[in-house]
This record gives sequence, C-alpha cells and structure tokens, in this order.
Amino acid sequence: MTPRAPWHPWAMLAPTLALLVVFFVVPIGVAACESFFSWDLLTPHRFVGLANYRALGAHGEIVAVALRTLAYSSLVVAGTVALGLALALLLDRPGRLFAFVRASVFSAYVVSWVAVALLWMWLLDGNSGVLGALLRRLGANPVSPLGDPRWALPTLALVAVWKLTGYAMIIFLAGLQGVPRALLEAAALDGASPVARFRYVTMPLLAPTTAFVATTSLVTSFQAFDVVRIMTQGGPARATELFVYEIYEQIFLNLSVGRASALTVVFFLLLFALAGLELRVWRTRTGGPAARPKPDGQDRVRGLQ
Amino acid sequence: MVVTFWYAYGDLVRRVLLDLVDKFNAGQTRVLVKAVHQGDYYEALAKLRTALAAGVAPTLSHVVLEVVPYLARAGVLEPLDGYDGATELAFVPALAQRGSFAGSLLESLVSVPFNRSTPIVFANRDVLEREGASLPRSWEELALLARRLTRRGAGGDVRWGFEVPISWWYWVAMVGQAGGRLVETDGRVSLGGAAGERAIRFWQRLVSERSMRPPPGRDYQAWQSTNESFLQGRVAMMWSSTAHVRYLENNARFPVVAAPLPRDLRASVPTGGTMFVLVRAAPDEEKRAAWEFVRWMCATDQTIAWSTRTGYMPTTRPAVERLIESGWYGSHPNDRVAYDQLADAEPWPWVPELFRLERDVVEPRLEDAVLRGRDAHEVMAEAREEAARPV
Repeated sequence: MTPRAPWHPWAMLAPTLALLVVFFVVPIGVAACESFFSWDLLTPHRFVGLANYRALGAHGEIVAVALRTLAYSSLVVAGTVALGLALALLLDRPGRLFAFVRASVFSAYVVSWVAVALLWMWLLDGNSGVLGALLRRLGANPVSPLGDPRWALPTLALVAVWKLTGYAMIIFLAGLQGVPRALLEAAALDGASPVARFRYVTMPLLAPTTAFVATTSLVTSFQAFDVVRIMTQGGPARATELFVYEIYEQIFLNLSVGRASALTVVFFLLLFALAGLELRVWRTRTGGPAARPKPDGQDRVRGLQ
Repeated sequence: MVVTFWYAYGDLVRRVLLDLVDKFNAGQTRVLVKAVHQGDYYEALAKLRTALAAGVAPTLSHVVLEVVPYLARAGVLEPLDGYDGATELAFVPALAQRGSFAGSLLESLVSVPFNRSTPIVFANRDVLEREGASLPRSWEELALLARRLTRRGAGGDVRWGFEVPISWWYWVAMVGQAGGRLVETDGRVSLGGAAGERAIRFWQRLVSERSMRPPPGRDYQAWQSTNESFLQGRVAMMWSSTAHVRYLENNARFPVVAAPLPRDLRASVPTGGTMFVLVRAAPDEEKRAAWEFVRWMCATDQTIAWSTRTGYMPTTRPAVERLIESGWYGSHPNDRVAYDQLADAEPWPWVPELFRLERDVVEPRLEDAVLRGRDAHEVMAEAREEAARPV
C-alpha cells in the first residue's frame, strides 16, 4: 500500500511516537543528564562528571548487580518456559477436570505480586512457616531460604516462576491449538514415537510461541521489584539486589539521584544490548524478518521425510 | 486550621498515636490535625523528600534522627527557636536535639524529640531461671551465655541463644562499646576505626559458633522477625528497641526481662527513634498550628501516655519525675532499665552525611561481612573509602 502523501504514515504514527518520546525517550535522556550530577532532590545539582559511574564500578558493584539480575532472569525464563510448556502439554485435554486444573494454575497469574510475595514469605518462613514445620516433621533443621545469601535469589526466582507459569501455560495451550492434527497423525503413521513427534513436529511449530513466552518472561523478570521489596529488600548480604530495586534504593532510600540515574543508564544499555542480541538470533534462525512460517507450518517440519 | 501530619507507625504505636491525635482534635477547635500514615520510617522519609521537592509536603512530620542534619542543611526544616515556649520545653537532655547530636556545626533548633528509644537486651526469664543464668554484662559474657542457651533438639528444633538484626543501629552501639566513634573530633569519618571492625568480628564469631540467629530480611523486616522469634520462644535473648517493651510484655507467654546492652571496653548506647519537624515551606499559620500540636504532645500528660502505652522513652523531665513519683518504674522495671541506660547515651555526630553513612556506606556492608564471612578489616576499609568519596 502506498501512502497518498509522504507525511501520512508519520501522522498515523504521531500519537504513539509522542507517547514514546514523552514517557520513554525524554526520561532516559533526563536520567542520562542526571547521571553526571550529584543531586538528592533537595540541595542544588553539582556536576561530578563520571563520578557516579566510577562509584558504581568500584568494588565491582555494577557487575554484581548485572550478573545477579541476569541470573535471576535466566532462572525465571527457563523455569517459566519449561513448566508452562510441560503443563500445557499435560493439560491440553478435554473435560471439566482438566479445565479446572488449567484455571487453578492460571489463577496464580491474576493474583497481585504483593499477595504472592506475602504468601510465599509465610510458606518459606523457617520459624512459623509451612517449610519450617515440614522440615521439623522430617527431623531436619528448619532453614529460612530467604535468610540465606546462597538461596535467596533462586527462591525469589521460584516465586516468580510460580506466578508466571499459568500465563505461559495459557499461551502454550493457544500455540498447541495451531499445531495441525494432520501433521501429528502423519508423523505417527510414519512410525514417529510420541517423543519424536514432540521433538520434530510440535516444538518447531511452537517456536514463535516459545519466543513470545521467553520474551515476556524476560521483560517481567527484568522489572522485578515487588517481590524483592516485600520479601528481601535486596538482602541478605545484597544477594537479591536486582537492577530495579537497586535504582529505587539509591534514589529513595539513599538520597542519591545521580547514582540511581547512572544505574538506570547502565540498565538501559544492558537491555538494549540484550534486545539487539535477541533480534539478531531471531533473524538468523528465521532467515530474516520477511521469513514468516507458512500458516500450516509445513516449512518447519523437518526430519520426518 | 487543618494541619497534615505524616507519620510512620504500625500496630500498637499507631493506635496510641491516633488516640492522642483524636484527643487533641476533640479538646479544642482551632486546629484539626489530619494524621496520614506513610509506611515505615524509610518509606515515609522517601515520600517526604519527594513531596518537599515537588512543593506538596505536609506541614508536620517526624523523621529518623540520622536524617535531621541532612534535612537541616538542605534548608527544608523550620527553625523552631522563635516559636512560643520552644526554649522552655524541659526535655531530657540526652533526648533533645542538642543532647542527641554533637558537633561544632550544630545549627538552630529544628527538631523536637517525639518517639525516642535506645537498643536494649530482652531475655526470656523462664529460660534464664531454668538455666540458672544471669544477663550478660560484657561481650564475652554474652558470647558464653548465647552458646549456653542455644539448644538443638533431635527433631531439628533450634532454640537460639541470641538474635539481633545485623543493622546499623546495633553496630553503632557496639562501635561505642568497643571505644570507637563514627566521626572523629577533627571531622574525619573513621567509622569507629578498629572498633568498627571489632564489632563485626564479634558478630562473625557468634554466627560461626551457631549461637546467634541472623534474622532474614532487612531494615524493619529483620527487626520484626527478631521480635517474632523471641515471642515464639525460638530465641532466648535478643537486642531490640525500648520501643517494643510494651508490645513484647503484652504478647509474650513468658516473663520478659530487660537489661542494658553489655559493655566491651565501656558502656555506650546510641539513641534512636524520630523527631518532630516542621516543613519550612508551609504557610506560617499552618506552622503555628502544627507547633501548637507539637507542644501539646510534649506536655506531661501526653508524654506519659505515649511512653507508658508504647515503651518509648519519656522525653521531658517533668514526665520522668511524675513517673518516678507515681511508682511507675517500680512496677515496670524494664522501662527503668531503658531510662537508666540513657546515662551511657552517645550523641550522634551532627554531620549532613550521617544518613548516607548509614544507608549507603555501612548498612549494606554489615550483612556482607557477617553472613558471607568477609574480612572485617577489608569491609570497613572499603566502607571508609566509600565514605570519603565525594557525593
């Protein structure tokens, strides 16, 4: 379709562009400027050059926060995709029982993060929680995973996976409806085992769905704040200080807008690099943005001929 | 005249405060105080700062002690010297602004003591009597007693000997006890020097001996967890705030006994809690109305009601005298311990960066050192380096 005037597409894009500029580009620009200043909201700005970045670099603080955030995101994405897919495959069956189980699994997703965090804090409490009682009954020492620097981060990731899995499952269930039965039957007639049918028919056809689930989980995990704020406040021993929480802590608790802004800029660059990497991988695997899977998905079924 | 008052309490303390606000509002018609809850101290402070920057701050609030010098330097606090009766309020010296802080830069009166406290030892008297033990008077006695009181049952049950939040306030107490100070008389930020490291090593020792339970969570979550462990009988002895005296006594199923913090080289204890502050940018009429409420809160009846119902220290001398005369301390020996401990109170340095030292420099490193077993000297050298970094 050719626009009647060259400015028509821009006019169509204008509302979205305006929103993007006002709520994304300008704030990032402001944060970039603030990162060169020392400011605490109340006293005058003071130019400090790269001092905020140097402070973040000192003692490997920024690297630690980035690695922690990446580790948390990796656990959340891997757990959500794997569990969501497994549950979708298990529950993709007719009947009221399965519908009830599907609804139950999904219900965690509609509960607020605050409620989820409070629920899990109670479950995991080594003193009065379910975990503590269970361990005591088994004759083991009660532990508080949220109080142990080695286990706090994986525990937070577990909570996020628990909450996000229902959503992933629904998306995978929708994706499974797009897998043509004819292909699965043809594969079965060719002697493919259930595992081979999953490996060579279902999985390739679910690739776009998997990418969608992975991307949304990644975005959600990078934005993790509520669970950290409520369950650990970044502790113990900074084991759960993730990017967004660290930014909040610097600006609102430590009175350091400049340091928080420097963190925001680094976080933005990290996300930018990750998004670029993901796009590159996606383009390589699909042969470019124009290469779309055929509606019946037959061009993706390999290894059965 | 309506005065908006932002406060930061929960549970019992919140109820007591709201009762007093209602009483004030019902007792006169000139001023109506609207108390608005703003979360815990740090959340309330974050909101106050943001509101100050946006020009929508309330007229009256209360802030943690450590942030007062910073807010004063920022020029957002109303000087109170000229207000009616400001110089006549007979505060307990160690709890007034001029007794709570020390330093040549101490400015005019900008804050009035409200809920003031000190750290204190709480112990389960039943456990102590069963073990034939008495409360520790020194660090060494504390370490021995914590080990002695720790019990590990066959079913995995543990009763810990000792628990304390790994946090700034208690570390500052130990720095003082080990003979150090945060800021030297020449203004150099030393963070206690060797005393700061000694305090960390003592905690590391207790954790490695498995006689101290480091509570999960940070800030007030860790405090709450410590109180819960104590009330559930899972810890025999803890350090907490005098603010919790009443709460612990009312909720424990065993007699609670309090004692002063143990000494190392000397006895020392910081004061804590918050101070009333008026926002300078507020309209004059509202500030005068807010001051009327502050003065009313500092009157003997209210000071006593506040202190006896919560456990916070009575902040004025007439209130203390009346409590002594009425025999309150005789029937509430735990409150007496808290008050007597003020004799060892160490004033805070009046330096604007005090709050940054707490939040950004020391607090995040304490758990790092204690729970991960990092070298105390290395951690504190890093903290001093961070403290010296221009903000």
